[in-house]
Amino acid sequence: MQIRDYLIRRLMVLPILLIGVSIIVFTLTRIGGSPIGIYLSHEMTPEEVEQLEERYGLNEPLPVQYLAWAGGVLSGDLGWSGVAVAPVTAVFGDKLTATMELATAAGIVAVTLGITLGTFAGSRRDRLPDHLTRVFSVSGSSMPDFWFAILLLIVFWVYLGWFPIGRSDPAIWASIAHPTGLYTVDSLMAGSWQALRDAIWHLILPAMTLGLATTAIITRMMRSSLVEELNEDYVDAARAKGLPERLVLKRHARRNALIPTVTVIGLSFGFLLQGTVVVEILYQWPGMGRWLADAVLRGDQATIMAYVLFTSVLFLTVNLAVDIIYAYLDRRVVLGS
Amino acid sequence: MDTRRRTPQWSRLLVVVALLAVACTSGGTTETTGEDGEAPTTTGGEGEAPATTEGGDEGGEGSGDVFVHAADDEATTVDPAQVEPGEGGETIITQVYERLIEVGPDGPDLVPGLATEVPTIDNGLISEDGLTYTFPIREGVVFHDGTELTAEDVKYSWDRAMTMDLPEGNAGLLADIVAETNVVDDLTFEVTLSEPSASFLNAVVTASVASIVSQDAVEANGGVVAGEVNEFLTANPVGTGAYELTAWNRGENFQLGVFEDYWGTPANIDVRIDIAPDTDTRILGLRAGEYDMMEIDPSLVPDLEGAEGVEIYSGEFLLEPIHIGFNTRFEEGSLPPEDTIGPDFFQDPLIRRAFNLTFDYEGFIAGALGGMGGTVPHYFPQGMLGYSEDYPVYEQDLAAAQALFEEAGVWDEGFTVSVIAEEGNLFEVAALVLRDSMAALNPAFEIRVLAQAEAQFDEAHASDPVPYAMWVKNSDPFADPDALMNAYIHPDGEWGTVHGMREMYQDPDAIAGLIDEAGTELDTDARLALYEELAPMLYDDPMWIIAGNETALNAHRDTVTGFVMNPLWPRPSVKFAFYDK
Repeated sequence: MQIRDYLIRRLMVLPILLIGVSIIVFTLTRIGGSPIGIYLSHEMTPEEVEQLEERYGLNEPLPVQYLAWAGGVLSGDLGWSGVAVAPVTAVFGDKLTATMELATAAGIVAVTLGITLGTFAGSRRDRLPDHLTRVFSVSGSSMPDFWFAILLLIVFWVYLGWFPIGRSDPAIWASIAHPTGLYTVDSLMAGSWQALRDAIWHLILPAMTLGLATTAIITRMMRSSLVEELNEDYVDAARAKGLPERLVLKRHARRNALIPTVTVIGLSFGFLLQGTVVVEILYQWPGMGRWLADAVLRGDQATIMAYVLFTSVLFLTVNLAVDIIYAYLDRRVVLGS
Repeated sequence: MDTRRRTPQWSRLLVVVALLAVACTSGGTTETTGEDGEAPTTTGGEGEAPATTEGGDEGGEGSGDVFVHAADDEATTVDPAQVEPGEGGETIITQVYERLIEVGPDGPDLVPGLATEVPTIDNGLISEDGLTYTFPIREGVVFHDGTELTAEDVKYSWDRAMTMDLPEGNAGLLADIVAETNVVDDLTFEVTLSEPSASFLNAVVTASVASIVSQDAVEANGGVVAGEVNEFLTANPVGTGAYELTAWNRGENFQLGVFEDYWGTPANIDVRIDIAPDTDTRILGLRAGEYDMMEIDPSLVPDLEGAEGVEIYSGEFLLEPIHIGFNTRFEEGSLPPEDTIGPDFFQDPLIRRAFNLTFDYEGFIAGALGGMGGTVPHYFPQGMLGYSEDYPVYEQDLAAAQALFEEAGVWDEGFTVSVIAEEGNLFEVAALVLRDSMAALNPAFEIRVLAQAEAQFDEAHASDPVPYAMWVKNSDPFADPDALMNAYIHPDGEWGTVHGMREMYQDPDAIAGLIDEAGTELDTDARLALYEELAPMLYDDPMWIIAGNETALNAHRDTVTGFVMNPLWPRPSVKFAFYDK
């Protein structure tokens, strides 16, 4: 089977999966209570509640409500976000770019550090650097992100005053245009080093917090894969034919060790996006995670549904991409077998 | 063989460290104020509205030139006709809109706002029959859109709210009492009431829903449609206040700019209200100097007490006691299956009195409120007209409670009843204190505390009938006892109807008669005499357990000047126009 055929097959399954996910999530969110909750005040009369239900179409049977919502999605209307006080589609892009920027920064931190540390430890098995790296990876993956975030805030925000919270300095943000919504990219496009520095400065703490656990996972995966590969016969053969150890490691062992690691990285990006909830709340990052948390607490189901749809599409897409990369990395993989 | 020269890994690491160091050292001292500190978009001119952008802190200035308040929740609307009392939008409405009469900074005294005088019978602005109020409108006041205030705007604003009559809003406050609004001339507004009301000025004219909006701005942006939200006004206030909304970055912040053409004493400093729902972040931000002020409750005092540069203000009592409701108006079998009581359970005044005598007030106030609170007589919060230290107040008396439970015939058999509360706050704690108090009195008395997310609680709370026999919340912060009585005490009032108080009171007509009479009595002394008669009746026949009343608290940096706080102002009970730093 060709990659093209494989792609087509996977893309055809995608809508069916999405419909299934949307029905399940729609039903589950309604079990948690009516979406009318977000519009209610403590002192509303039943008649006023009925007026609101009529206004938002919540007096219709559940299947009718689902079809209305699904129809809206197909026409580009994801509903009204009671939390954002705006149509979901009007705010989704800005929230998404803020989160994507944070997750990408965290991903860069995690991948760079994870692969470097994993390689470093794996190539020095059972020596001091290896032990130290393992200590880091165990503690990194077991440390709760909210605790780590507060720790960083206390040290670097309250006491040292090095890093701020939020996404930007308001004045610097306002000094450049934002065609993409990604602050770092926009600042580069505007040629503003001040804005770029501001963007990076605001990204450091949340990206470190968000990337910590993923760094630890990638480090462990990279290390164990590398250790395994270094024991393979082809590595002995490479050494036997006189290749320097550095090249044996980089050209042969590390390349093969990257295959399972890339799978983990792909999955981790999805988890990074989900992990933004706590980080965005604590660091005042105006992204999807914080929006979602607020939506869940206040019963803003249009926002919850939009988020679930988005993450479903993202996970399915990332998985697809990982499968394709996997195939490219290891040509022995026969698609469809 | 690869012969290219490779950069050693340690040197790449050095580059990364150097970049981080540059970021650290330069970022902390950035003091950019943008284009002369101007916000990117402002109201002003031709009904133009502020931008409501997403994705960043547009506008504003560096935090050194702006007063930053950390708020714990987001507004859903800043339209006076749509806002719910106590909701986050009231914070903004208080700053950007004005009313004819305002509550002054000191206590409950009323001061002129957009009207030049506070109407009284003595000054002739209230008719002898107490039905007609005349408001002389201030001359030379301009809205944020540049149009001039006239009596037409006032009439339009009130009529608008009553015509829209949005279920989430508070239009009923006006509609229930206003019979007619009239423009006498450009600078004279007259309102006729359907019946005399002692609380009209305190509770209605000063309320957010009575804020004055620009007629031109509304008409240019959707006008008024009965039962429909005006989406423009939802996000774009056009008032006459000392501040104008310059940006609303949803989920991030509100930015309020000093309104240069304000008719009165102008505000001193621009304001940014950061939406910081996480309590730890707000506390750390205040300690770090990132925020200048935050609203606190007693549970947060230990985290801030003694912090360098932080001052804690402790003032009068809030006017929103935490209370636990008794509900009898539910259908048999509609309560949670664990509950063993029927609708007649709380109809017995002995049981309601016994509950009131069992609750550990001292423990709740000393523990949950950190000693910053007090007990409340039924139902007159401290600071409100009608309050007297002489009124009887419930205290824990387990022996008396046992006697009442025995007399009611439930001591041996016991009971189980569920109480709902919003999770993670003082209301949940109050419910837990009730549970522990009852269990300590008699292990056969089981209170099940059901802590719910806000939306779930609101849904249950707004149901008819309420599917629980007990719930915990605080009262709305009413400025006048009549509004409070009608909401929570009157047998045919708001909660009186929901809970079935007419069936609960021993003499509902007497209670209703006193409340109604006091509500229309314009002579304050006579009114106080009526409340004096009412107070012991409410003590003997309690409709609530009033767990306690919090002290008004605020935490701010010691650089803040001009600090004033009045619990009668919508939360967080501050007006930024007084402040500077």
